[in-house]
Amino acid sequence: MSTTAPVRERTEEEQDVVEPDVPWVVIVWNDPVNLMSYVVYVFQKLFGYSKEKATKLMLDVHHRGKAVVSSGPREKAEFDVYRLHEAGLWATMQKDR
Amino acid sequence: MAATFKRLGRDRVRVRLGHEEVAVLRGLPEQLRAVLTEEADDPVNRRLFPPAYLEPEDAGRDAEYRRLMHDELVRSKLANLEVVTDTLARGSSTVRRWTVDLTAEEAAAWLGVLNDLRLALGVRLDITEDFDGRVDDDDPRAPGMHLLSYLGWLEEHLLEALSSA
Repeated sequence: MSTTAPVRERTEEEQDVVEPDVPWVVIVWNDPVNLMSYVVYVFQKLFGYSKEKATKLMLDVHHRGKAVVSSGPREKAEFDVYRLHEAGLWATMQKDR
Repeated sequence: MAATFKRLGRDRVRVRLGHEEVAVLRGLPEQLRAVLTEEADDPVNRRLFPPAYLEPEDAGRDAEYRRLMHDELVRSKLANLEVVTDTLARGSSTVRRWTVDLTAEEAAAWLGVLNDLRLALGVRLDITEDFDGRVDDDDPRAPGMHLLSYLGWLEEHLLEALSSA
């Protein structure tokens, strides 16, 4: 009897089923053109963040080059990325690790 | 001088511009529309429609995101452009000024378009350092930089009007 589980390629769909709770993070990257006030406005509007939280995140993006602005299951993260792209922010997502 | 954007009640914004400003703005949506609808791999489109996933292991997911969402994003931006074009055509003129009242949705479209125009211009002008609005007139890019600066000024004022209760 084999001591290790058989290995086979898993499809993307299966991965989503097997790992439903793997958190994803949404990252916004610094951009030389977007206005600071606009970025704060978008964070408040899309995520319902307070002005203080939105401003802190904007400053993180500005000074550190990027910041995690939201997190959650993949579908939610992808929806957030979509809305950020719609607003013209440079956003990506990745597994949280 | 009267404010460029003024909040009227809960959900309207009044726009007041000089005639030369309106003339400049009227020429811009068509240029962006042309870029958005072209198939070519334009750097402006790469900036406006960036990848959602960067990790090599997520390449398949990114292709899927692009397949499902790209046309949706283009439609959303084109719809905003149409609102701006329509409202620019709708305004009324006096000797000194041009005025139009925007609904909340129309004002949101203006904000989106002003920002998209600035992003596109930033790519065309190859702006890679944080832009503070100051323009060096000896720079061959000065005319474009002045436009970028003006659109930023407009956007800033629209944001102030939208944020005022």
